[in-house]
Parts: sequence; structure tokens; C-alpha cells
Amino acid sequence: MDIKERYIRGVLLVCASLSVIAVAAITYTIIAAGWPVFTEYGVFRFLFGAKWLPDADNIQLGILTMIAGTGAVTVCALVIGGPIGILSAVYLAELASKRTSTVIQAFIDLLAGIPSVIYGFWGLVVLVPAIRNYLGSTKGYSVLAGGVVLAIMILPTVVRISADALRAVPKEYRDGSYALGADRWYTIFKVILPAAAPGIITALILGFGRAIGETMAVLMVTGNAKQFPTSLLEPITTITGNIALEIGYSWGLHRQALFACGAVLMIIILLVNFLINRIIRRAAGGIYE
Amino acid sequence: MNKLKIWDFITWVCIGLVLAVLLLVIGHVVVSGIRFINLKFIVETTSNAGRSGGIRNVISATIYLTLSALLLAVPVSIAAAIYLQEYARKGRLLNILVSGIETLAGVPSIVFGLFGFNIFVTLLGWSWSLVSGAITLALMGLPILTRTIMEAIRAVPRSYRDASLALGAGQWTTIVRVVLPAAFSGIITGIILSMGRIIGETAAVFLTFGSTLNSISSIFDSGRTMPVHVYILSSESVSIDNAYATATILLVVIIALNGLAYLYQGITKKRG
Amino acid sequence: MNDIQIRIRDLNFYYGEFQALYGINADIERKAVTALIGPSGCGKSTFLRCINRMNDTIDNTLVEGLLEVNDENIYSAGLDVTELRKKIGMVFQRPNPFPMSIYDNVAYGPRVHGIKNKAKLDELVQKSLEQAHLWVEVKDRLYKNALGLSGGQQQRLVIARSLAVEPEILLMDEPTSALDPIATAKLEDLVQKLAKEYTVIIVTHNMQQAARVSTKTAFFLNGYLIEMDETSKIFTAPKDQRTEDYITGRFG
Repeated sequence: MDIKERYIRGVLLVCASLSVIAVAAITYTIIAAGWPVFTEYGVFRFLFGAKWLPDADNIQLGILTMIAGTGAVTVCALVIGGPIGILSAVYLAELASKRTSTVIQAFIDLLAGIPSVIYGFWGLVVLVPAIRNYLGSTKGYSVLAGGVVLAIMILPTVVRISADALRAVPKEYRDGSYALGADRWYTIFKVILPAAAPGIITALILGFGRAIGETMAVLMVTGNAKQFPTSLLEPITTITGNIALEIGYSWGLHRQALFACGAVLMIIILLVNFLINRIIRRAAGGIYE
Repeated sequence: MNKLKIWDFITWVCIGLVLAVLLLVIGHVVVSGIRFINLKFIVETTSNAGRSGGIRNVISATIYLTLSALLLAVPVSIAAAIYLQEYARKGRLLNILVSGIETLAGVPSIVFGLFGFNIFVTLLGWSWSLVSGAITLALMGLPILTRTIMEAIRAVPRSYRDASLALGAGQWTTIVRVVLPAAFSGIITGIILSMGRIIGETAAVFLTFGSTLNSISSIFDSGRTMPVHVYILSSESVSIDNAYATATILLVVIIALNGLAYLYQGITKKRG
Repeated sequence: MNDIQIRIRDLNFYYGEFQALYGINADIERKAVTALIGPSGCGKSTFLRCINRMNDTIDNTLVEGLLEVNDENIYSAGLDVTELRKKIGMVFQRPNPFPMSIYDNVAYGPRVHGIKNKAKLDELVQKSLEQAHLWVEVKDRLYKNALGLSGGQQQRLVIARSLAVEPEILLMDEPTSALDPIATAKLEDLVQKLAKEYTVIIVTHNMQQAARVSTKTAFFLNGYLIEMDETSKIFTAPKDQRTEDYITGRFG
């Protein structure tokens, strides 16, 4: 290899490494910036404290209500968006003609491209009043509003990845099942969905990751109340929403606590990625075993 | 037979819901917002914190930020995609690089925001500014750009490379002269789609570019992009009307970019 | 003369505009091996897939003419495809066990047809695996993933899976094309044994295979059934010049 080629190759490698470097730098920066909270304030008090009073004389920085809030909207989003997304994927991969499937997929990609603030805005002007007027929620800002908005936002991810997984199931499996006299839905439930399971689980985990990290849309419809979610119709605060709201005017330990919140998120996201990698590797390994 | 019909029906309802949601969201925002939009709204600057006036400064801040971020991210992404697709061999290094991209793609916007806020806004003292926002957004755009460009490069037939290499061209020459031109339309499509993502970004922009209603005159100026404008107008109840109008313009831009990418792909596919 | 189980009269088949089969007439005997031979794209696989209506799973296809199994027209309006496919098993070119355990693969068909009783399933699984000459090899690993088996074992597993629904007819679409010579020999041996109890129709591009395993052979060309007769006659004294050309290797 001549010198020019080697030089070019080096530059390209640096560019290709940038993502890895960025992940490392982000993880390090966020954890380092929040570190005093873990050491001085205490991990346990931080994670499991129920009170968030950054301005009080006796400063309280417990994020348990926000963890619960994030958990509630995320579960709500998966419960609503998961089944709808998977069945939509079944429709695209198994029932629709190729042409219909391509057209619908283009629309779903558009759904993925719409900015989160638009979903938040729509939730604010349509969903929140609707929940207030028709479901008897006092404010309308609620776990349910957040869950629905998030469900819509994770749909494209769930649909696309599940549909890809379903399409990757060999045609031979379908033939084999039909030839034994099984009908379409028996084949889908007993052969195709199980065969596509690793991909579908990956889709749900990715949806989970996206839901947990989403900020603006949820912030706009969940009402910023630091309380435990006791009902679908009550307002809550999420970890992300709290960071966005308070980082601008925070200082000292308060700001460090917000970074620590970011660190918690980052660790969850890294775990999610680790999980997905394991699933994919195991699925690939299973075939050659 | 009946059970089959029931499941057919359920899937129909699901896909119908997905499409209905799309139409409901876009339809509601656009139908409500279109009547607040006129030429004045686009060419005048905001006044009274967004209660009146237009959004010219908001639009230009969005354009500045988006183009700066792309300017930083596109060359790096192309280089990264070339390395991963053309140079890297299967093995540990490639696995690490690719999983780095996958992981970065999954990092929440707010975490990028915190990172940019910590490093650029406070540590380097650039405050809320175009440069802080652009670098943060460039990092966010990196994974999606790299992946789409990789796909475009992957779609170039092996035979093109072989033909060029067989003529004695070096690998880099082959890439520059043969592979990149052949992948050009795919790369453009990828850039257009990523542009949509960058324009629509809110949380990270809010934390690094700020939300002041300035007109941008230097890279250290702060500004307010369209998504941030929609957020502030609506959640602080400044002006729901103007939030509708801004959201409509934002949506139209996003849909236009998606359509453009789609059409462009279609045209080049037909030609090639 | 044996009795006729499948009777085909003036069968035409279309994929959209393209006609794949032209006026096929044939009688297929009960409990015998019938081989379908011919060059690629001659319609032999399409013909095979007409018999259990697997072509129904492809969009935009059309069947004309009469196809009777046990004197019943299988394309009549009221026919239950599930029952038909229970009666007619099928083995494909590439072994296609489902990604589940060996046991679940074999039990899949019986379960489709509503058998839930564990003892009955156990019995069917063992019997089918024995008939497919696979029982001895897998009896200690019934609950392991079927994809861990070798190609030849997978193909015999698929045969066992077909046998588990207690069919009368077995359709085999080039079942040895993905197998090595030893696995092929085993499978051919199995096919001949199966013919004592089942009607077997086997598509093959390997003429020696047809000669070895079948009692009757049908030669297809360009969508037409050119000639059908005792295997020995087809291979020693074909009536049609085209059959002779094919058999002596002048084309295809």
C-alpha cells in the first residue's frame, strides 16, 4: 500500500471512529458531571428519594417520582403501541400485496420523520382537552396523554423492524405449514411470529429505548407534577422532561443532579443496546447451532 | 373460517389506526394552522415574544443551524461510510465501530443536549450559540447519515469496483471515480432525510442553541428554531395561533423533504 | 392393474397471463411411486403443486379442467382445503423444518388438525419418525431444535412431519436436490418403502433416480405431458421421439 492510500485510510478510520468516541465522550461527560450526586448526595437517596426540592434549604434530590413517571408513560406506550405495531407489521408482511405494503410503508416512514414537538403540540391541543372533557381528568395533562403520544412515536420503529423480521422468515416455513393443512393465521401464530420473535423483541426494546428518552412531546402533555402516577388521568413528570425544564436555571448540586439524571438515562440506553446485541447474536447463533 | 376473518379484521383495524393517526395529526395541525399563514408571517420578524409579527428570524435561525450541522456532519459521515463499507474487514474493529454507530443512534436527544450544554455551552464558554448547537446536532446526525450513506454505497454493484481495480486504478481512485458517483443519488437521498430529522430536533437544540429571538449575525449568537418556537408558544401559552402557524410551516417543510427524497429516489431508480 | 387414485383430465394452469400447463391427462395409481421428469421449467413442479392446491397460496393463478382425488373434484367450490392437505402430504426441494423442536415439528400437523392428547401425539410422533427411518437417530434429542439436524435428517424429519397427519398421498418436489449422495441413497430407499403404504409422486431432474424408485414415469416438456408409462418402458422404449431425446441426453 502506498503512502497516500495509507494516509487516506487513516483519515477515514478516524471519521469512522467518531461515533464510538462520541458515545464514550458523552457517557463519560454526563457521568462525570453528575458524579458528586452519586458520591456526596448518595446513590440510594438520589434514586429512591421521593422528594425533589432543589431550592429548599434542606436540599432534596430524589427522583423516584420521575422514574415512576417515566416508567408509567413508557409502559403505557408499549401496551398501546406494541400490539398495534406488531399486527400492522403482520399486515404489511403477510396480508398486503407488495404494492400496498410499499405505499403504506412510505406513509409510516413519514410518521417517523415528523418532529416530536409536532406530536407534543397535537397532544397539547387535541389529546389533553379530549382527556379533560371526555374522561373526567381534572387537568387533561396525564400519563394517558403521554402514553398515547409516545405510542404514536414508537409505532414507526416497531412496525418497520417487526415487518423486516417477518419478511425475513423463509418462505419454506409458510409452504411447509400450508402443506400440512394449516390456515393462514395458524401459520402466522405458530410458525411465523415465533420464527420472527428475536426481531420483534428487538423492535419492542428499541421502541422502549425511544420512549424512555423522548423529551419534548411528553413534557408538553404530562403536566410537570412531581408525584407518583396513581391513575392514568393524573399528571406526572418524566426524567427527561425535568432535565429540559430545569437545566437552564440550575446551579451547583441541582445542576449536577440533572446530569446524574442524564447518566441514569444513558446507562439505561446502553443496557438496551447491550440487550439487543445479545438477542441478535443469540438468534444468529441459534440457526448454526 | 370465522376466526380467520376476525384476525384479518383486527389487523385491518390496526393498520387503519396507524394511517388514521398520521392523517389526524397532519390534518389537524395543517387545517388549523393554514389560515394564520400569510406572506407577512414569513417575511416579518417576531415581535412581542412571538405574540405578533412573523417568524422570519426563526426560519433563518433554523436554516443556519441545519446547514451548519450538515456542513460538519456530511463530510465526516461520507468518510466514515467509505471506511466501513470499503476498507474495514469483518472482525472485532468493525463490530465495535458499527455498534458505536448503533448506540449513538439510540442516545436520547436530551442526553445530547446535556453533553453539548456541559462541553460547549459551559466548559468552552461558547454559551447558547450557533456553534454549540451545530456541533451537538452534527453529532446527533452522524449515525443516521452514516447508515444511509453506507446503504447507498453498498448498493453499488461489486462489478463496478472490480472493473476499475482490474484497470489498475487504486482503491481510493476507484472509490472517488466510480463508487461515489454511482452512489451519489443514494447519498443525496440520505442527506435530505437526515435534514428533516435535524430540522425537527427540539430538546438538544433547546439546551445548546437556546431560545432567544435574535437574528443570527455570528456563530456565537443564540437563536430559536421552529420546533423550539412551537414548544415555547404552546407550552407557555404565548400564542396558540402562531404555534399552529409555525407548526404547519414546519410540517410542510418536513413532508416536502420526505416527498423530495422519495421522488428523487424514484426518478434515479427509473433512470438507472 | 392397480386402481386409480388421482385422475386428471384436460388440466390447464395459468400464472396470470402465462400458461404453465396445457391439457394434462393422467391417471395416478394408488400405492405406487410415480416419477415426474423433464427439463427445468417444464411444468412438473407446477403440476405437483396443483394436486394439493399449494398454488392457491400464489396470487393471480388460475386452474381449469378436472383433478379428482378418490373420485372427488378437489377444485369444486365446497372442498375443504385443510382436509385435502391432510390427505396429501408434501415434501419440498430444500428441507424446511420449522425452527422448533423435533417433537414439535412432527406434532405440528396433528395439532393443526386438533389433536391435543399428549399420549396420542407421542404415539404419532414416534410412529412417524419410525416410518421415516429417523427415530433411532433422534429419539434421545426429541426436544432439541430441528435446525441442528443434518440436511438428510432434516429431509426425513419433514417426511415424518407429513406422515404424522396420516396422509394417503405424498408429493415430493425434488426432495434430494439439496442432499449429498449418501443422504440421497437413504432417502430413495425410504421412498420405495413408503410406497407400500402411500401413493408417492416424486418430481426429479435425476433420471437415474426416477428409474430406481418409480414404477411409472411421466415426461413433461414446455407445459405438456408428453408421455406417461411404466418406468421400464419409458427408459427402454419410449414412444415419443422427444422423450427419447431427453432420456438419451440430447437436451435438457
